[in-house]
Amino acid sequence: MIVSRKYSISAQGILFLFTVLPLIGGFGYALLYSVGLTGVLKTGFTFNHWKQVFANGNILSSFGYSALIAFAAIIISVAMSMYTALKLHRFLEKDLLSYLIYIPLAFPGIVAAFFVFQLFTKSGIVSRVFYKIGLINDIQSFPDLVNDRYGIGIITAFTLLIFPFFVLLFTNIIKNERLEEYKLAASTLSATPAQVLWRVSLPLLLRRALPNILLYFIFIFGAFEVPLLLGRSNPEMVSVLAVRKLQRFDLLDLPQGYAVAVLYSLASLLVIYFLFKAKNRADEK
Amino acid sequence: MKNRNHHILKIVLAILCIVPPCILLLMSFFEVWPFPQLLPDRFNAKAWGYIFQPENRVSTSIFTSLIIALSVACISALLGFFTSMVVAYHKYKKGLLLLTYLPFVLSPVIFAVCLKYYFIKMGLIGTLYGVILAQLIIAYPYATIVFTGFWNNRMLDFQKLALTLGATPGYIFSKLLVPMALPMMLVVFFQCFLISWFEYGLTLIIGFGKVETLTLKVFQYLGEANIFYAALSSSLLILPPIILLWINKKFIYNKTI
Repeated sequence: MIVSRKYSISAQGILFLFTVLPLIGGFGYALLYSVGLTGVLKTGFTFNHWKQVFANGNILSSFGYSALIAFAAIIISVAMSMYTALKLHRFLEKDLLSYLIYIPLAFPGIVAAFFVFQLFTKSGIVSRVFYKIGLINDIQSFPDLVNDRYGIGIITAFTLLIFPFFVLLFTNIIKNERLEEYKLAASTLSATPAQVLWRVSLPLLLRRALPNILLYFIFIFGAFEVPLLLGRSNPEMVSVLAVRKLQRFDLLDLPQGYAVAVLYSLASLLVIYFLFKAKNRADEK
Repeated sequence: MKNRNHHILKIVLAILCIVPPCILLLMSFFEVWPFPQLLPDRFNAKAWGYIFQPENRVSTSIFTSLIIALSVACISALLGFFTSMVVAYHKYKKGLLLLTYLPFVLSPVIFAVCLKYYFIKMGLIGTLYGVILAQLIIAYPYATIVFTGFWNNRMLDFQKLALTLGATPGYIFSKLLVPMALPMMLVVFFQCFLISWFEYGLTLIIGFGKVETLTLKVFQYLGEANIFYAALSSSLLILPPIILLWINKKFIYNKTI
C-alpha cells in the first residue's frame, strides 16, 4: 500500500469523527437522559423512566409490531422478487426491462407512501375502480387498507420500495453464481424440477442474499416516513413512537423517548453484530 | 405455454414499473377529483403554475435540496475514497468495517434526535451546514463501505508493480488509482446524492423546519391534504433520481463490474 503513516492516521481520524464519535455521543446522551443524569429533567440516577416505558406496554407492542411489519414486507418482497428473477433473469439482463426495473428505485419512502395512500384509501383509485365495476356500493364499503390495524398499507409501500432492489440482486446472483449451470447439472443427475428449485436454486439465492435481507429488515424496522403516513397511532412503529415522545411539548415524555431510542439502537447494533459474525464465518468457509 | 407465461409476467412487471410515476404525474394536472370518477372532467396545469410562484418556495426547496445533495455526494465520495483505502488494507479491517456500518444502518430520524443536543450546542441546528453535516454522518459511511470493495488484491498488485517500476506515491495516486476508481466514484456520488435527496426524518429534526427541502415540501402538502400539489412535488422529487439511475445503468454500471 502506498499510503504514508500520516495519511493512515488522518483517514482513521476522519472515520472516527464521522462514525464512532456521533454514535458514542448520540447513544451516550440518550442513555444518560433516560436514567436522569442529564437534560432539563436531571434528577440524579433513576430507572423510573425505564419502568414507565415498560409499564404502559407501548414499547413492547411497538417493537413487536415493527418486527412483524418488517418480517411480512421482507417475506413478500423476497418471494415475489425471487420468482420474478428466476423466470425473467435473461430479459432483466439486457431487455428493455433492465431499464424499467430501475424506475421504482427512484421512489423515496415518502413518495411510495403517498402513492400507496392514493391507491388504497377509501376514495382512492382502487376504490373507484371497484365502484365502477360494481364490487362496492358506496365509499364506506371499501375496506380499510391504509392507516389500518394490520399495517397492510405500510407493508405494500415497503414491498413497492424493496421489490425492484431484490429483483436486481437475485438477477445478479443468478448470473454471477452460474445458477443455470448448477440447475442443468442437477437435472442431468435426474433431479426433478421441484428438487432443483428447493435443493439448488432457493438455498443458493437465499444464502447469497442473506446479508442484504437482514440489512433491509433493520431498515424497515427503523423506518419513519412510511409508517408516519400510512400507520395509525396504536400500535405504532418504533421510530414514530420515539420521535412522537421526543418531539412533543410534554417534557416529561423526553426521558421515555430517549429510552426507546436506546433500546432500538441496542437491538439494531446486536443484529448488525450477529450479521457480521455470520458473514465472517461464511467467508472463512 | 412457458413463453406465454414469461411474456405475461414481463408485461405485468413493466406495468408495475411504469404506472406509479405516470399516475403521480397525471394527478399533478387534476384540480377537482370527486368520488367515484376515475378521471376528473378537466385537466389543467394550474398546480404547476401555482407551485412555482415565489411565495410557495417550491423552487427554493428544489435549489436547497440540490445544494445539500451535491455537497453531501461530493464530500462523501471524496472522503470515502481516501479513507476506504486505509480501511481495506488495515489489519483490523473487519472491526473498522463494522464501525462503518453502524451509523449507516441506524434509523436516521432516531439518530438525529439523539444528536440534536450537540447540533444545538454547535449552533448548527436549523442551518444548511447542520443538515449537510448530519447527512454526511449517514452518507459518508456508505461511501466508505462501497469503496472498500474497490481496494482488492488486484489493486494492491498494480500499486506494487508501479512502485517497482519507480513511480512515486503521488504519481501512482494521480495517474493510476484515481483514473481506475473514477467509474466507481461516480456510482458512489450518485448513490450518496440519492441518499441525501430522499432524506426526510433527519432533515426535519436537524433542519428544525427552517431548512426546507423538496421532501419536506411533499410532506407539507400532504399535511394540508393538498394531494395535487403533493403529486406534483413527488413528480419533481423522483425525476432527478430516474435520470441519475438511467445514466448510472447506461454509462457507468457496466464499467465498474
